Amino acid sequence: MNLTQRDRIQGFTLVEMLIAAALGSLILAAIITSAVSLNRTFAAVNAFFSAHLQQIRIIDYLSRDVKRSTIVHSTDKNTLGCWTPKYIVEAGDTDAASGVGKRRTPSIRSNSSGFVVDYYTTTQANGPRNADGTPVLDTWGQPIKTSASTVVYSISGNSILRTEDGVVTAIASSTDQLVPDIIDLGLLNAGSLQAEVSFRPIFTRLNAASERAGTTIYSTQFLRNLRRGN
Amino acid sequence: MKPNEHAGESGSTLVCAMCTILILSVIGGNVLLNCTTRYNVTSKQIKGWKDALCAAEAGGDIAYAETRKALKNPTTVFTGPGWSGDQANGPWTYTMPDPIGTIDPATSKGSLTASVTVDRLPASAIVTTSPTPSASPTPGFYRIRSVGTARVSGLRRGGMDDAMTAAGRTNFVAGSKARGYGDSLLRKIDFQFDHFIATYGDGDGNNPHASPVPVDASGNPLAQVSRRIELISVPVLASTGDAIRTSGSFEGPGSSGVIDSYDSKNGAYNKDIAPSSSPYPAFFSDSRDANVAVGGSTFIDQTGNIYGNVTTNGATLKPQLDKYIFGTIDNTVTQTIAPQPRVTPPPSRSYEVDPTPAIIDPPSTVMVDGVAQPPNSWANAPWYHYTYFRNVIVNPVIVGGTARETYINIVVDGANNAVSIKEFLHINRGANVRIYFTGDVDMKVALFKNLNQDGAPLNNIDGTTSTNVSASNHVQFYGVSPPAGVTQRVDLDANGNPGIAAVWYVPGADFEAKGNINMFGAVVCKSFYANGNCFFHFDKQIGLGAQATDYRIASYVEDIR
Repeated sequence: MNLTQRDRIQGFTLVEMLIAAALGSLILAAIITSAVSLNRTFAAVNAFFSAHLQQIRIIDYLSRDVKRSTIVHSTDKNTLGCWTPKYIVEAGDTDAASGVGKRRTPSIRSNSSGFVVDYYTTTQANGPRNADGTPVLDTWGQPIKTSASTVVYSISGNSILRTEDGVVTAIASSTDQLVPDIIDLGLLNAGSLQAEVSFRPIFTRLNAASERAGTTIYSTQFLRNLRRGN
Repeated sequence: MKPNEHAGESGSTLVCAMCTILILSVIGGNVLLNCTTRYNVTSKQIKGWKDALCAAEAGGDIAYAETRKALKNPTTVFTGPGWSGDQANGPWTYTMPDPIGTIDPATSKGSLTASVTVDRLPASAIVTTSPTPSASPTPGFYRIRSVGTARVSGLRRGGMDDAMTAAGRTNFVAGSKARGYGDSLLRKIDFQFDHFIATYGDGDGNNPHASPVPVDASGNPLAQVSRRIELISVPVLASTGDAIRTSGSFEGPGSSGVIDSYDSKNGAYNKDIAPSSSPYPAFFSDSRDANVAVGGSTFIDQTGNIYGNVTTNGATLKPQLDKYIFGTIDNTVTQTIAPQPRVTPPPSRSYEVDPTPAIIDPPSTVMVDGVAQPPNSWANAPWYHYTYFRNVIVNPVIVGGTARETYINIVVDGANNAVSIKEFLHINRGANVRIYFTGDVDMKVALFKNLNQDGAPLNNIDGTTSTNVSASNHVQFYGVSPPAGVTQRVDLDANGNPGIAAVWYVPGADFEAKGNINMFGAVVCKSFYANGNCFFHFDKQIGLGAQATDYRIASYVEDIR
C-alpha cells in the first residue's frame, strides 16, 4: 500500500484557498449584483409599461368623451370639462318615470345652424367649476346650468380623476407623475381637441426635459357633435 | 486499492450554475410573463376596442348613405344587400353580409362586424315650429343605431391592474359607474357572455339574458368587444336659419340700409322694433337674429346696420371697430353650400297638359302614383315647364269660392348666361310656388307681387288651418347651379320702393340688390351685394318649408354602458 500518493493530492494550500475564495466571492457578487440589477430593471420597466398603459387609458377616455361632446372647455391645462348628451334616463331625472336605464328618444329643433338634437331638455346647475370647486357663474351671477351630463378630468395628487355628474372615478394612479396636458382647444377652427399625456418615470433621476418628452402620448380628437357654419 | 482521486472535486460548481440559471430564468420568465400580459392588453385588447368603434361607425356610415338616397332615389332606400325590414315604414335593419377587417386564420373571415337598426323619428320628436310637420315628416329624420363588434385575439384575460367588478361586487351590476376599475371599466371585453345584453337587454332593459359569445371550431369562446353608437340623420334645408349665406364674398348693406329679422307668426314686419325695444318689446328678441354667414374672406361693410351675428372665413372684422354689427363676430367659420341640381318631375309624374300657361290655375286634383290627390303639398304639386318665365300670374285652387293654400312646382329651363326670369310675376294669395330655374334673373321688383300675408295663411284645401305663416316661404326660387366657369346672376332692381318676399337658394349666383328694395325672406348664394338703402328682413319662420338639399349627421352618441 502506497500512502504517499494520497497525501499528495489532498487539500489545498492556504494560497490556493484564498484565491479560490476570492474568485468565488467575486463570481457570487457578480451574480447577486446582476440579479438585483435585473430585478430593479424589471421593476422599472414594469412600472414604465404600467404607466404607459395608463397613458393610453387616459387618452382613450378623453377620446371617447370628447368625441360625443357638444361642448369642451378647459379652465387650465390640467383640467378638462366635457358636456355630453344625457342619452340614458337616470334616477333623479325629471323624466325618470319613463324608465330608468332606457335610451331617450331625442327631440329636434331648428336654429341658425340647422337642426339641433336634444336628448334632455331640463337644465341643472352642473356647469364648469373653478379650481377651488366653486361653480363658475354666468353673467347674472348664477351657476351655469346645462341639460347635458358633465364629465370633468382633473388631477388629485397622483391620480387622474374622471368625474361624471359628480361620480368620481380614478382612471389612473401612479407615482410616476402622470400629467394630462391640454395643448389646444382648437374649437375655433376645426372643432377638435389636442391633448397630451406625459409622465416622468421613477427611474429618471435627472428630470431632464428630453426624457420627459420621450414619454408623451399625443391625441387629436374631433367633436362629432359640434356644428358650426352650415 | 486506489481511491477516486476526483471524488472531492465534484463540489458545487454544477449546483451554483443551476442556481444561477434558475434565478435568471425566474427573472426572465417574470419579464416575459409581464411583457406578454402588457402586450396582450396594448396590442390585442386596445386594438379590438378601437376596431369595434370603427366597425360601429362603418355601420353608421352605411346607414347614413342610405338616408341620403331619400332625396335622390327614394325607391332604393334601405334595399341594398344586407338590408331588411318594412320597406315603407321601417324600422330597417342591416347586417353586414361578410365580416370585414383583419382576416382571422381560424375562420378565414374578417374580425369586424356591424349590425344597424334605422327608424324614422316620429313627428312628436320634431319640436321646430314652422310649419308644423305632418305625422310622417318628409323628408324624414332618421335614428341610426349601430353595433360594431371586433374579435379580441390573444390571451383571454384582463390586464394586470384590472378588475371586472367593483369592490364588493361579485358579478356585473347595472350602471357602468359601479362596474370594475382599470381598463375593464373602459374597455369592456366579453370573454364568455355579452355583458350588455346580459345587463341591459335590448338597451332599454327589455329581455336581459345570457348571450354567449361565438365559439371557434373547437368550441372555445371567441372573446370580443362591442361598441354601440346612435346617430341622428337630419335633412339639410336650403335655408336653415341664416338671413344671408354665401360661399364667397359679401358687400352691404348700404349706409342707409338694414339687415334685421322678424317672426312672421306675429304678423307683418315692423321697422321700429330692431333699433329699439319700443314700442313692441315682446318682439324685440326676434329682431336681432339676422345672421350673415360669409364663406369667403371678403366682407365689405357699407356701414348699414346688421342686427345679427356675422361669420366669415378669413375676414378681419372686429366688434369694437365694426360698430354696425349688433351681434357676435367669428372670422374662422367655413361654409359649404350644396349645388342645386336640375329638377324634373319624379318618374311617376309629368308636366301638366298645358305646361306654359300665362295664368296658372292649378287643377283641383293631380295623379300621384295612380291616385288622384289635391295639390296640398309639394309632393302632390302639379308641374309646369317654361323656357322663359315672365308675365305669369299664379293662382291657388279655389274651393267653394275661397282660395286655399295650394302647392305648385315650376321649372324654367333657360340658357346659361341669359335671362330666364324677368318682368311681371304675380303670385296670388294662397299659392305656394317653387321655381327651379336655369339662367339668370333680371327683375324689376316693382313688377313682382307676392300677395301672401305674414301671419295670415289661408286654409288648406281640406279646410284645415295652414301653419305656413310666412309670406316669404310661399315663393321659393332655386337656381340650378351653372357649369364650371359660368356664374349665374340674380339682379333685383328697385323701381319705386318695392317689396319682395321670397326665399332664394341660388348657390351658384352673384346676387345683387340695388336701390331702395324691401326684401323679406332669406338668401343663399355665391356672393351677395346690396347697396343704397336696401333693407333686408329675415323671417325666422323660414324653416322646414324650404327644400332639403342633403342629409347630415346632427348627433353622435355612444352608449358607453
